[in-house]
Amino acid sequence: MAFRFTSLAAGLAALALANGPAAAQSVEEFYSGKTVELYIGYTVGGGYDTYARLLARHMGNHIPGNPTIVPVNLPGAGSLKLVNWLAEAAPRDGTVFGTVARAAPFDPLFGNDAANFDARALSYIGSANNEVSVCVAWEGTGIENVEDLKTKELIVGGTGDTADTVQFPKVVNAVLGTKMRIINGYPGGNDVSLAMERGEVTGRCGWSWSSVKSTRMDWYEQGTVKVLLQISTAKHPDLPDVPLVTDLADGDDQRLLRLVFARQALGRPYIGPPEIPEDRLTALQDAFMATMEDPAFLAEAEGLDLEITPVSGPEVRQLVMDAYDTPAKTVQRIKDILEN
Amino acid sequence: MIEAAVDALGTMLDPMRLAWLALGTVLGLILGMLPGVGGVAGLALLLPFTFGMDPYAAFAFLLGLGAVTSTGDTIPAVLFGVPGTAGAQATVLDGHPMAQKGEAGRALAAAYTASLMGGVFGAVLLGLSIPVLRPVMLHVGSPELLAFAIFGISMVASLAGSTPLRGLTAAGIGILLSLIGSDPQSGTLRWSMDTLYLYDGLPLLPVALGIFALPELADIFIKRAAIAANASQDVSAGMLQGARDTLKNWRLVLRCSTLGAAIGAIPGLGSAVVDWFAYGHALRTVKGARETFGKGDVRGVIAPESANNAKEGGSLVPTIAFGVPGSASMAILLGAFLIHGLQPGPRMLTSNLDVTYAMVWSIAFANILGAGLCFMLSGQFAKISRLRYTLVLPLIMCVLYVGAFQGSRDWGDLYALLFFGVVGWIMKRLRWPRPPLILGFVLGAIIERYMFISTMRYGWEWVLHPIVLVILILSVLGLARPLIGDFLDRRRRSKGVRAPIHVSVMPADLLYVVFMAFAAVLLFATRGWSIEAALAPRIVGSITLAAALVGLLSQVLHRPSAEAGGVHMDVVSDFGTLAPRSIYARAGLFFAWLAAFMGAMALIGLIPTAFLFVTAFMRAERREPWPLTLSMAGGLTLFIFVVFDKFLRLPWPPTVLGEWVPALQVLPSI
Repeated sequence: MAFRFTSLAAGLAALALANGPAAAQSVEEFYSGKTVELYIGYTVGGGYDTYARLLARHMGNHIPGNPTIVPVNLPGAGSLKLVNWLAEAAPRDGTVFGTVARAAPFDPLFGNDAANFDARALSYIGSANNEVSVCVAWEGTGIENVEDLKTKELIVGGTGDTADTVQFPKVVNAVLGTKMRIINGYPGGNDVSLAMERGEVTGRCGWSWSSVKSTRMDWYEQGTVKVLLQISTAKHPDLPDVPLVTDLADGDDQRLLRLVFARQALGRPYIGPPEIPEDRLTALQDAFMATMEDPAFLAEAEGLDLEITPVSGPEVRQLVMDAYDTPAKTVQRIKDILEN
Repeated sequence: MIEAAVDALGTMLDPMRLAWLALGTVLGLILGMLPGVGGVAGLALLLPFTFGMDPYAAFAFLLGLGAVTSTGDTIPAVLFGVPGTAGAQATVLDGHPMAQKGEAGRALAAAYTASLMGGVFGAVLLGLSIPVLRPVMLHVGSPELLAFAIFGISMVASLAGSTPLRGLTAAGIGILLSLIGSDPQSGTLRWSMDTLYLYDGLPLLPVALGIFALPELADIFIKRAAIAANASQDVSAGMLQGARDTLKNWRLVLRCSTLGAAIGAIPGLGSAVVDWFAYGHALRTVKGARETFGKGDVRGVIAPESANNAKEGGSLVPTIAFGVPGSASMAILLGAFLIHGLQPGPRMLTSNLDVTYAMVWSIAFANILGAGLCFMLSGQFAKISRLRYTLVLPLIMCVLYVGAFQGSRDWGDLYALLFFGVVGWIMKRLRWPRPPLILGFVLGAIIERYMFISTMRYGWEWVLHPIVLVILILSVLGLARPLIGDFLDRRRRSKGVRAPIHVSVMPADLLYVVFMAFAAVLLFATRGWSIEAALAPRIVGSITLAAALVGLLSQVLHRPSAEAGGVHMDVVSDFGTLAPRSIYARAGLFFAWLAAFMGAMALIGLIPTAFLFVTAFMRAERREPWPLTLSMAGGLTLFIFVVFDKFLRLPWPPTVLGEWVPALQVLPSI
């Protein structure tokens, strides 16, 4: 991939980097007057795109030297095309990073053949949102809580083999013994909601809570849907009385659930190529967290109904490293569950 | 309700809001004219600028932009046979032959009058149906969507003209192509040839541009003449006639715009089929259509164009009533909804009714303004069809390539474009109907998707849903009638006497063999797939093989004496006295130019290539004077730089030159 915006000076700087110590140039000197490209692994208009474009408008102010951040869409293969590119071919000087599927760093672990990268080598800049997803039942199904879910069948709509809407109910069924029947194949989450409204399916599982709030809050408030379960690493403040999935199991089962749902902390992850110079990576990670507290950024996020619950780069990296330390037995069990 | 509509009108007549609407409309027209770009990318880029506006102005701007891309796309469709967006494919079939006859002015004027009437009528229909929108929509479930898609496929029989078996084969190939990529049920990567490019399936854009646009450009190149070489009609007289044509066919306009609005309102069917539905409908219902359609019948332009613009009003319905966007541009609009604190759902039809009506008015105004502007300019555009081919062709070829690349930003798009260009040209040359292939491609994956959902959810009982039953019966009738008619025709001609078996092979028959081999290879590759992934490919592959076999045998053994007995449902090029050898040689040269373009792009990047290509083409083909050549090449390069590099921010692929001399990467696209 051509790296258009490198100026002649940057080219020379890269040469200098190869030959001499990077310390010759401070982070501020490096970024000053430069353009940083923020790649988006999806087409324009979706959730990842909206978050990334918002970040691009503000993050430059918090990086020393105040570079301009330009969003660039590079969609394909559910963002795997971008991850592979970041891992293999992208410039590693800190002028390129991107946003990809939250599950992507875990794909090589669970045996996705198209994911041929080493997730542990990537640079982690941060996550804008610690995602909380929920499972809901439509009114009149007689399913009010997780216990009901173990005795009565809930028909949930799925949006593709690797989507949360399919994988989450599969895992919950296998570990907690619930009876969700997955009707897979809907083009998107909104289509599942419509199918629920006209009675084609009776529930939706793996639905991001922030999306419920921005698009269907009235259903929740009026009791049209009942929230049965929340799926994340910690409870959402809005939902103190809804059980958290990892609290419903213990021992190996709980470890398995923690591993699968670790991706929730990477709700809107920002990932860079391997081997970004240490000082620049730290600057990017710090700038990311500073942006997450920037009042102008937060005001705009509020207007866009985007939930901001940041997770720092080092924390995200730790989650990924932990996942790869999981015993092979647990990983195999997850593979088996997902393949069924 | 009327009160809300009138209130909303007052709101929208605010000069500031009208100004935003006008700006959006002009931008939408320009984006629609660029093949491959369309309104979606523009909408997404401009979305942040609307954050600070009041909601009405924001929607006026965005809807204005979205509503008229299907107005702007008519210009390249008519003039060059290049559909500006996927929604203008059917317009090519009659619009381009009209331009070749020198009636570009008439075709454009008719199209714009139809766009205007269709767009406004679609908006009115939307306005009137608001109270019953939600209850009706709640009756359209997955089985109903499936039935609509099957009905769409059944139109293949009409669109195949006098060669139903060729149509069926082409449609089968189209469906097989649509099944490429990760399957929604099991995630199996079907026929993806280990490339990430095909992971999400083959994109529509390079296929549509390859099948329809490149063959037309190749034929212009072969003829070495202006598109309308022997035009006699006066442009302004033609424009008046075009407007009169549409007014005279007002019933057709109303029917097609109703169809357009209705299909637009069904989420999941997609905007790429609307024009084919309308065209197929006109083909079945308009008097004498079977003789004149595909040869430059103005009614073949009016039908898709009126439906096209009505669609935008229709696709607002699922967006506002359910939060399910009916098209890609509506998905972005949905984002804008949330930004301005509007939650789609019942409230949009009750307490926020004025906002909804403001949107309806915006669409109506945008259509009037967009079509009006284009109508006034269509005389100027029509003159392009009389220019030398060396002035027009290199520019279009460059823009087509950049536009196609814009789709998924991948080299795969360019390979696909070239590949389908060759396929399309051969099909056109051998008189194989191309529309069924594209129809199969657009609808194939939809049918598979909803077939699985319906069957998993309801078993086989979904067939008995009342709406489904009616539509399926209509589909069977539509599919069977031409086939039975064809069969009876042959019986009548042979008067019960069995014709003696007489073996003859023609070049067109070889395509049966090629398609059979293709289907067989694909079928073979389904070994080892899970049953969910393999079911649809195997059924469709087998039917395609069977149709091709029957078609081949019936052609080889019982060739009808006069093949021109029925209508050929596609554009035909007349090369006059040009010998077939020179035709093939020139076609080869055309595709060699394209291959050279791609080679240069890999070496030195797209933007320098555009400059070099235009210069080389104009000098090599016709020794155009240097000042003209350089200024056109420079102008185009600047245009591509501004639109695609600066505005759309395309990530250019790496180049050999850039890798050898990294310092040169300072230059765009190297």
